[in-house]
Amino acid sequence: MPRYVMIIDLNKCTGCRTCMVACAMKNGLPPGIFWTTVEWTPIAGVIQADRRSTGNYPYTPMTPVHNICNHCDNPPCVKVCPVGATYKREDGLVLIDYERCIGCRYCMSACPYGVRTFLWEDPEKTLEDAIRRTRSSNPYKAGENKMAEPDYVYGDPVEYRDKGRLVHKSVLRLKRGIVTKCTWCVERIDKGLKPVCVEVCVGRARIFGDLDDPNSEVSQILSRKNAVRRLEHLGTEPRVYYIPKTNWPKVLE
Amino acid sequence: MRKAAELRGSSEGFLETDWDTALDCASKALAYIMRRYGPSSIAFTIQVPGTGYMNKGALMRLASLFGWSSMHAYPLNGDLPTFWAPTFGVQSEELETLEYLNSRLILIFGSNFTVTRTMSSRMLILARERGAKIIVVDMNYASVSNIADEFIPINPATDAALALGIVHILIRDKLYNEEFIKTFTDMPLLVRLDTMKRLRAEEVKELSSKAKELKAKIPAYRDLFVSIDKNGRLIIIDPRRLDLIDPVTNERYDPVLEGEYEVELVDGKRIKVKPVFQLLKELVFRDYTPDKVAKIISPKPEWVSKYVNIIERLARDIATLKPVAIIYGASNWQWYNGDLKGRALSLLVALTGNIGRPGSGISTYAGVYKIRWPMWSWWGYDKPLTMIRGTPSMRRPKWLNWSVFLNYEYRQSEEWRKYRSTEVPWPDQGVRALLIQWWNPFDQHNKALILTKKAKRDHPEPLDFIMTTEIQWTTSVEYSDIVLPAAAWFEKYELVSTPIHPYLSITQPAHDPLFDSMPEIWIFKEIAVRTSKIISEEWSDDEVKRILGLSKDELVKMAQMYYPDPDLQRQEDEARRSGRWSLSLARELANKASEKAIEILLEDGRNVTWAEGLNVNLTEGITLEELKKRPVRIKLPTPGNRQIPFWSQINLRVPFPNASFPHPISATGRFVKSGRIEFYKDEDVFIDLGETLPVHKDPFEESLYKWFPEDKGRYMFVYLTENSLYRVHSTHSNNAMMLALQDYQPKIYMNPETADRLGLKTWDYVEVYNRFGRVRGYLITDPSVHPNVIIFVQGWWRRYTDGTHYNSPNYPWIKPTEIIYFTPGVWEVNTKWNNTLVNIRKIES
Repeated sequence: MPRYVMIIDLNKCTGCRTCMVACAMKNGLPPGIFWTTVEWTPIAGVIQADRRSTGNYPYTPMTPVHNICNHCDNPPCVKVCPVGATYKREDGLVLIDYERCIGCRYCMSACPYGVRTFLWEDPEKTLEDAIRRTRSSNPYKAGENKMAEPDYVYGDPVEYRDKGRLVHKSVLRLKRGIVTKCTWCVERIDKGLKPVCVEVCVGRARIFGDLDDPNSEVSQILSRKNAVRRLEHLGTEPRVYYIPKTNWPKVLE
Repeated sequence: MRKAAELRGSSEGFLETDWDTALDCASKALAYIMRRYGPSSIAFTIQVPGTGYMNKGALMRLASLFGWSSMHAYPLNGDLPTFWAPTFGVQSEELETLEYLNSRLILIFGSNFTVTRTMSSRMLILARERGAKIIVVDMNYASVSNIADEFIPINPATDAALALGIVHILIRDKLYNEEFIKTFTDMPLLVRLDTMKRLRAEEVKELSSKAKELKAKIPAYRDLFVSIDKNGRLIIIDPRRLDLIDPVTNERYDPVLEGEYEVELVDGKRIKVKPVFQLLKELVFRDYTPDKVAKIISPKPEWVSKYVNIIERLARDIATLKPVAIIYGASNWQWYNGDLKGRALSLLVALTGNIGRPGSGISTYAGVYKIRWPMWSWWGYDKPLTMIRGTPSMRRPKWLNWSVFLNYEYRQSEEWRKYRSTEVPWPDQGVRALLIQWWNPFDQHNKALILTKKAKRDHPEPLDFIMTTEIQWTTSVEYSDIVLPAAAWFEKYELVSTPIHPYLSITQPAHDPLFDSMPEIWIFKEIAVRTSKIISEEWSDDEVKRILGLSKDELVKMAQMYYPDPDLQRQEDEARRSGRWSLSLARELANKASEKAIEILLEDGRNVTWAEGLNVNLTEGITLEELKKRPVRIKLPTPGNRQIPFWSQINLRVPFPNASFPHPISATGRFVKSGRIEFYKDEDVFIDLGETLPVHKDPFEESLYKWFPEDKGRYMFVYLTENSLYRVHSTHSNNAMMLALQDYQPKIYMNPETADRLGLKTWDYVEVYNRFGRVRGYLITDPSVHPNVIIFVQGWWRRYTDGTHYNSPNYPWIKPTEIIYFTPGVWEVNTKWNNTLVNIRKIES
């Protein structure tokens, strides 16, 4: 059985956020919900600004900060789930059975990484609100009778079940009151593909593979590079490894 | 369709109608304008043809039929780097990004590559991993700096000074490649000190008769210049070859680069001359010492000594780490003196021989402008009787420059009258109609709100008719009289390429077009047919002949042959007559016509004049069937078909320039008459402006301060409209996901120290303004921004900025050097987005 891990090499990240958008498009996340995020070093109070830095001009190095479900080996979210909706597979993926989740949100309290999202409203309504916020002024906005495919929403339209459990479905087709999070693209992994964020990464900063295979790229990298995991002291044994950024440019030296 | 032009600027007053009514109405309006004002008074652009050779060509074909005015999108968008034509004689060239892996030093001057060339930034990361050194020179710590080895902050618009400071060191320490500059550049050419013109061979007593003989053997667009060898012998420089062979004796010579000499002219007059290199040396030794340059470029006085060291080090890096690739960013050349910066930066690669070799050169990446070969078989229009592709009789559109169109005031000025070449077109009766498709000019190109004023008839040159072909309801739609729904990318066929990657690819219909939308090829075919019918019915024979240069019969026949396979058009006509016509049949036939048009386009690439005496087959073996399966590399005339600018010149010794399509070599060869890379320009305007050699100048002295002297000292900040990571200019501005990534809020970035001084803080609602316009947004203080710069991330439609407009503080400046020639898309007035000064204030409510 493989032991999947993800490596994020912050030296290679360009901060382009292609991973965020590709994930949202593929998983049908409504605008404003992201299962993985990339932020530059935050400035207090500014959320999702597309450029940001700290320090004093011109010494303003930026560090990309990635967040994604760590698929922990010792996942607190699994322990607290009262109905067994969140579970861990042998290969390490931590998944949610959307049909079992009762929306108690204990898992969100338990997760130290803040990677889970609760659907407070039907995602389609979130999308409608977002479209309203675009302030479209088109007087001939397509009516229902003119839509080529009335039920169309973006996102992978095919559901995926893991031994009967519904673990992947376009979030826009889910109803409110449940918790969602990154699945590491379970339906792709089971076909031998990589998670979509890894596939699209411009800088090839995200690397995915089997740590039990000594010849895998992840094994090779972790054997020679210094990598860290987030909040290791909590004992969650996260499976996402970060290679810290060290290659900032020199400035006026 | 809009009921009344008075309602322009809103979504009010539109009437939803069917295709027949809309097209008939549009055709009537267009025929009326042509009859009253002439065809050239209808202006349009095809916006970046690389993204659609076929459908964009469809509009060019329609315009060719009637003789409408095409506004080349390259200068319109500010994408034309105006140093290329005077220096290399080309539109522009770029190293493909795969070549970065061969570079050892990559210098990025004002290009936020990770945002504007997102996918290609991987090549920078790989190049760095392979040991290339990446240096970013920019006024702001742009995000590309994060993947660089070094970030060098400099003051806005001072890159030319930095480059000339480096040139100072290269010359002082003899770090230049002498053989290269003697062979490929104008450095050995002699310049007359009395006129400051280059010395022509026919002026020189001892060369005059030989020069006359040689003149008959060279193309008319070339000239014979003179150098002097180490023995004091005057040599004619042969513009037909790039080597050091005397065309008179056929012997090798070694020209001098330095010194002052005396030459006797035909009339017996003795004049003093100096090689270009000597003049350059004197210039940089006098004005661009490291000390002087450091003071110009350093954002703070206390850092000046650091910059002196940096200039010295950069010169050594450039001279020793080969190959060197320079990336010169669009935001950097979109200034009044952007040409001077480009000419100065080109010196760095020319002096060190970093041109025409793998991983080297200077590249400008902006716009998908590039026509990979002439495409007139589809874009032009043969008369039905000749039907010979590419014949001189072929009808082609007229041309117009966007800034010339917008800048009414400049056209009234003495400067315009003095320097304007008769080549620079302006329709006899002005521009009366604007056709908009594939762009959103009322947001993206509305400098100083001039376009709004024209649409609202609050301008000396109002617009009578505005028609938009669109895939979405944009701001420009709201200013239009007729809006035609076009099919989107994956609802139609299209042939696509980019300048940065030498590949051809096609888009294919993945599903039917939504609603009633149609591929542009069908829309423009219908307009061709319907307008011709109206003209043939309503105009007299004489009028048609006088206005369009065709007989009625010819016009109607040509419109019937709009589709590349006229049989498809006949099938559609027949279906109409028999009542079998439907939208789906029209689409099916339009798709077949599109495929045929793509095949014709590919055919055009099979025999192309690449450079003087060098013909190539760029589409050898490339077929539509193959393109349906995968993108295919264009067969460039280089080893491995690699895109290495000027490989042919440096390795095959073919004279400069490469052809800039669709123009023949004669149209662009005249810009570098010596057949070499030219740094010394001697047209009168360059002499008048003191720009015979590249120099550094304050960009506002000859623009804002010259025309509005009272503004000197009034506005404190350079206004930069930075490209957004989340959209292509203003496209996708209304996309919910893209908006969510930006909190739905337009933002204005400023250095926190500057903001503190002005009493402003993050999240204040502010207005950026100057005499021309204003824009509103939320202030974010960010230390990566230069203390004297304000950044607005572009693309926001007006409805997101309280009706204010981010391009309204900009003005369509025209530099007189840009109007001494006119070759569309090559030598033209370029839009100067960043040549703008503003102030900022807090909005209380």
